[in-house]
Amino acid sequence: MPSASPRLFQHGRIASAGSRNLLAADVLVDETGRIIAVGPGLTAPAGAEVIDCSGGVLVPGMFDVHVHAREPGQEHKETLATCSAAALRGGITGVVLMPDTTPPIDTGNLVKSAMDLVSELSAIPMFQSGCLTKGREGREMAGFSGMASRGVPMLTDADRAVPCPDLLRRCMEYARDFDLLVTSHCDTPALTKAGAINEGRVSYRFGLPGIPAISQEIAIDRDIRVAQHTGAKLHLQQISTARGLKSMQGAKEAGTSVTGEVSPHHLVLTEQDIHDYNTHFKFHPPLRPAPDVEALVAGFIDGTIDVLACDHAPHTEFEKSSEFGSAPFGAAGLETTVPVMFDRFIRKGIFGWDLLIERYSIAPRRLVGLVPVMITEGAKAEFFVFDPEGTTAVTRETMKTKSPVTPFLGETLAGNVRGTVLGTAWYPQGK
Amino acid sequence: MRDLKPRKDLLDIEGLELPEIEYVLSNAVPFKQLFQRSVKKVPTLRGKTVLNLFYEPSTRTSSSFEVAANRLSADVTNFTVSSSSVVKGESLLDTIETLQAMRSDYIVIRHQAAGVPNIVAQHTGASVINAGDGYHAHPTQALLDAMTFREVYPDYQGRRMVIVGDVLHSRVARSTSTLFHKLGIEVGVLGPGTLIPPGRHEFIQRFRSWDEVFDWKPDAVYLLRVQLERQEGMFFPSIAEYHKMYGMNTERLVRLRQIGAYLMHPGPVNRGVEITDEAMRYERSLISTQVENGIAVRMAVLHWLKPETDTD
Amino acid sequence: MSESGDKFREAILSPEEISAGVSDLARQIAYQCAGDEVAFVGIYTRGVTLAHRVAEALKDEGLHYPVGTLDISLYRDDFDNRRSDLPTLETSDIPFGLDGIRVILFDEVLFTGRTIRAALDGLMDYGRPAKIELAVLVDRGHREIPVQPDYVAKRIGTTRDQYVKVRFREDDAGVEGVFLETARKVPAA
Repeated sequence: MPSASPRLFQHGRIASAGSRNLLAADVLVDETGRIIAVGPGLTAPAGAEVIDCSGGVLVPGMFDVHVHAREPGQEHKETLATCSAAALRGGITGVVLMPDTTPPIDTGNLVKSAMDLVSELSAIPMFQSGCLTKGREGREMAGFSGMASRGVPMLTDADRAVPCPDLLRRCMEYARDFDLLVTSHCDTPALTKAGAINEGRVSYRFGLPGIPAISQEIAIDRDIRVAQHTGAKLHLQQISTARGLKSMQGAKEAGTSVTGEVSPHHLVLTEQDIHDYNTHFKFHPPLRPAPDVEALVAGFIDGTIDVLACDHAPHTEFEKSSEFGSAPFGAAGLETTVPVMFDRFIRKGIFGWDLLIERYSIAPRRLVGLVPVMITEGAKAEFFVFDPEGTTAVTRETMKTKSPVTPFLGETLAGNVRGTVLGTAWYPQGK
Repeated sequence: MRDLKPRKDLLDIEGLELPEIEYVLSNAVPFKQLFQRSVKKVPTLRGKTVLNLFYEPSTRTSSSFEVAANRLSADVTNFTVSSSSVVKGESLLDTIETLQAMRSDYIVIRHQAAGVPNIVAQHTGASVINAGDGYHAHPTQALLDAMTFREVYPDYQGRRMVIVGDVLHSRVARSTSTLFHKLGIEVGVLGPGTLIPPGRHEFIQRFRSWDEVFDWKPDAVYLLRVQLERQEGMFFPSIAEYHKMYGMNTERLVRLRQIGAYLMHPGPVNRGVEITDEAMRYERSLISTQVENGIAVRMAVLHWLKPETDTD
Repeated sequence: MSESGDKFREAILSPEEISAGVSDLARQIAYQCAGDEVAFVGIYTRGVTLAHRVAEALKDEGLHYPVGTLDISLYRDDFDNRRSDLPTLETSDIPFGLDGIRVILFDEVLFTGRTIRAALDGLMDYGRPAKIELAVLVDRGHREIPVQPDYVAKRIGTTRDQYVKVRFREDDAGVEGVFLETARKVPAA
């Protein structure tokens, strides 16, 4: 709730990207939402709200560069308001919106309308990206200059690859003039076809048409080569195989301006986790076998992969309840990403908060030209309080997203985002 | 009396335990015996309703289930849904609601999409029998194949069967190979590289030619129908070429006879593609036995499954 | 008397008494059926054993009656109450015509009569006997269906909750006898 009183976050420990160690310190936020003091044993000024963070970890607000908020046009799945609530529930204080709304965002005016809706309806900053091609149809370039003047952070056809390499090349050349980031959903439609799941042992057992790994890998190679040829800045979405990761690594070593993201589900789930045709596990790119997951985790840790991005893609339960082959791809991710990262990695010591902050708070902001968020004196207050001893029960009733479809449904994850601070606002989540 | 957990649905072979398989296969024998009586019916399922829900056309499988249900004195309703009236997702859930209202005890379902019987089974107390879903499974076919094989080979363990044809698109190949493996029968496959999936189970051995197959001395050769309607022209260049390389022609029939192997086929056959007229008359063809056993096995399955309807 | 868990078990017919019962049944049948064309049909499992024993006894008198077997699982009226016990089906085998024959059904114990009703349905699906009669070793009363035995070796008074268990050495690993089991009443604390 926004309030005009200062807040003292007491007895917590502060995480930062600089060190694996947590700093035991209190944080005092003034009535303008600015951090005015960080240190042990602070006293609360008169009228301050005191929030006991004993046992808790204070973490800079996260930033997700791959979010489908579904508004305008698909509000049955999600709205800007519910998306914002879900983000805050997950400790996320800023996102990049995908342009695959109805209508798709392919002109400056549409970017402006979208941003107007955001300021009206969203509690967190959201940055609207624009389409690469008109209507996302993959035939003609969209209006880059208008969109650039409205400050789009990137251009992407979101969930669609540009089929024609010549058009991709022209888009990249032109995007370079505006110094715009080109973000690719890497896929080869002629190989993916009606595939529903990774092509391999599980697709055989389930009798489902498979998506071969080469469909994404070839597209990654292609887009990297075109980016190298044109000098454009390329960002690869949702890398899912070891081979694709290796391609990106090679390009980076050769000096190409390429970055890559991975999703939490591709870091913790394999195709073997799909049981009984559960469509909550249906993703594009699909879940892959264990060796790919292991390679992605290693790449995430060693920095080959630049950012974590959850590809928040809500669909209603009704839509997801059709048979596996025809159910839509994707699941909600904003609320579960940080708890899943804690549950599967941080609590086991596989990596620390510092790595997660680098990959999910600092690097994503840097990717779109924003300054990092830090918990230091003088900075705007933008952080969340994480309770390592708490739990997050992932249930329909407790999720904030309008479409509680997630592979983690029914799980109780270790750790809990106790609440998120954004300037003068504090959004507690309950226990 | 066996110590088996009762099961509501039969959705695939993978989930079945060996004692259950043995139970169904041994019960199929007395059911088959009934066919020799003038009264082929028993009153066991009298008053129960069996709904045949076929989204894909099939006269042989649906009539096999119909005969099986009739011989158990159940009431049968046939419900064929033409593919044009099926809209993705919506129709399926609406249909499930309608099915629930009809209070069938058993639903036999065939659908072109894998996993649909699983969804139906989750949403209804009726016993759901998968009569074929996409490329995924056809459990009653596998059971009748096993019954047929064991009739001619009571010492079936360690024997060999090779499946020939389009394994990639075949739910019969998946279910039958899995069941035969569970029973201790070795399974091999022969077919064009485009139709032998690399993700297949490791226990399935791949042969590259009929020579390799015959050297292996299979006890039965199982021909698959080549799914012309699913090809989209990309898997092999022509029927003539398929027949030349993989068809059961005169020369291969001679070799089959030499090793004394049996011939099986799930039907319907494509004469001139995977099999010739002459091969259809092979004295060790089990094709019509398979059909007869199909009714017995389906009776055994209906007898075995236990619906969770309100009256319990 | 033996106790196991919460049941009393009492032997009510010894092996010698069973043997006498079999002879008694054979005598009754030989007397009643003189001159008729007769066939035995035993109900699985122990009815079959009983039918064979009686047929053997009659051979000594020069009467050779064929024995068929009948599995009545598919004709029972309690299909919905199967719960966890899944009956294995036996192969019924009646290798002779029934039309015009005097058929004697055999079961080891007659209780509610439901088994016999199912057996009658099953039998009639094999043909149309001239006459169907029933032979049992033990009749323990408590009928729920109007069925009466034509040949009985022993009548035993029982309460509804008791169990009468016939054991034949051919079917029960060498055990032979008829036992009455009663649930033990737990004394109030």
